[in-house]
Amino acid sequence: MTTATNIVVEREGRVQRLRAASVPYLLLLPAVIALAAVSLYPTLDGIRASLHRFRYGLDMGFTGGDNFTAVYNDPVFWQAIGTTALFVAFVVSIETLLGLLLALLVARELRFAGLIRVALILPMTIAPVVVGVIWRLLYASDIGVVDPLFQALGLGAPHVLAHPLSAFLGLVTVDVWEWTPLLFLIILAGLQSMPQDPLEAARVDGASALQTFFHHTLPLLRPVLLVAVVLRTIDAVGTFDQIFVLTKGGPGVSTQLISIYAYNTAFLFNQYGRAMAMLIGVLVVLILLMVAAVRLMRRSSQVIE
Amino acid sequence: MTLRERIGMTFVYLALGVAILLALFPFWWMVDTSLKRPVDIFSGVALWPQQLTLDSYYRLANDYHFGSFLLNSVIIVSSAVAVSLGLGTLAAYALARFRMRFGVRQMALYLVLLVRMLPGIMLCIPLYIVLAKWGLLNTRLGLILIYAGLNTSFVVWMMQSFIEEIPRDIEEAAMVDGDSRLSALWRIVIPLAAPGLVATAIFSVITTYNDFIIALTLTSTPDAQTIPVGVSTLIGKIEIQWGPMAAAGVVGALPIVIFALVVQRNFVRGLTLGAVK
Repeated sequence: MTTATNIVVEREGRVQRLRAASVPYLLLLPAVIALAAVSLYPTLDGIRASLHRFRYGLDMGFTGGDNFTAVYNDPVFWQAIGTTALFVAFVVSIETLLGLLLALLVARELRFAGLIRVALILPMTIAPVVVGVIWRLLYASDIGVVDPLFQALGLGAPHVLAHPLSAFLGLVTVDVWEWTPLLFLIILAGLQSMPQDPLEAARVDGASALQTFFHHTLPLLRPVLLVAVVLRTIDAVGTFDQIFVLTKGGPGVSTQLISIYAYNTAFLFNQYGRAMAMLIGVLVVLILLMVAAVRLMRRSSQVIE
Repeated sequence: MTLRERIGMTFVYLALGVAILLALFPFWWMVDTSLKRPVDIFSGVALWPQQLTLDSYYRLANDYHFGSFLLNSVIIVSSAVAVSLGLGTLAAYALARFRMRFGVRQMALYLVLLVRMLPGIMLCIPLYIVLAKWGLLNTRLGLILIYAGLNTSFVVWMMQSFIEEIPRDIEEAAMVDGDSRLSALWRIVIPLAAPGLVATAIFSVITTYNDFIIALTLTSTPDAQTIPVGVSTLIGKIEIQWGPMAAAGVVGALPIVIFALVVQRNFVRGLTLGAVK
């Protein structure tokens, strides 16, 4: 009698323990399904599509590596990759420098510190499409500000979006305006959580401001800077909205980043397979960057906390 | 303060003044253009409307379907954010409070980051093919499902760090008193995490509201198009209607700018996306 009860109790206990142990997985499951549905699934389906041929948007069946060969032999693709690399290199380096500069200016006792910060980060908060609209209004040759400004300075009106080089630089400017605030914010957070003692000690020892910066602040800031640069690089590779609104990749193909070229290939020419073949190469690079970002993030959060 | 320090501070404020001017002037130019009469828009650089008019806004509402864009945005953003807050908070609680086996935790976090980092253009081609199969192209439901999934990654990331800050003792006490896990989560953890939840909700609204490429590729008529897509349709034409376009930009930016001013502090945390805690 007693043994039977014991067995029943024990079994109930085990069931209960099993139920308790499964709780976290059950809580996690819906979110994991949702996340996989919008990330893993499209990625895998994209890989599948890259191996198929599409005509007028219809799947015409398996074609092996044809899309990849076509992309590999397509000079416009390589041009888009080059433009993207150049664009990313420009914007990330300029934004990092300006962001660092702004963060150093703000990381002190200031009057109206909160308002200053909000004013500086406003550009990154609004929709990239609206950013495009804003700069369309500034660059416009008939109603804008930029051309009259150059003329007032005695220079010719540049008609920014009408020439290949100036259009490219014009888009770099837009991106710098929009995303320097993000670098600023991350670097500022890094500066504010930095241990003050070594800096004080250096100052007491008579180090100049520049010496303190290069010997103490910058090395301490390195992990944060790396994280910020990697995050921004990943986002910059996918830049689309502002360019779509401002130049659609023109004039010619001078501002055609890979995202714009892939968009046109897929949605103007309905060649989904070929567009995905393009993007898969980019994805591999992005995943490598992501793994690097995770590693760095873990390390930098250890440094800060 | 020594003279040298005072000169230094003057320089700091001056430099910040220039930076703020560069950050804010483009906004003003848009507002300025949206309030001018068409004639005045073309009459050279005027930093203040010669004659104030809301004409551009009326035309936006009457001629360009802006009412339906706005309605779509409101419905899509609020539903998607509500769903993702539910899914994401449960998952964040599991990640913050339990040890998990088989590297489940690591895999979940990598999935979260993968979603955060995949560029929109990569997602929208496969998603287009899927939605076409299910007949969900150009529907609000299609966008709601996709945004809910995407935003879940953001909610998990943010809420995990907010929940970790809440001491375990309180909910353990509640569980000793007879609460189940879920009722402890609902009665104790959620109210304590409320500020974090609000901040997360606000950012979710902003990122979802701001998205362009997914809505652009998956919708085609004002039945389901959102505000950013609506704004872009004003540009595609041969002749650009500068006034309504500027007004559309203002309408598109306004909710976000107001949010930014209202929730200054929490804003920063969401924008850096927990990269630096």
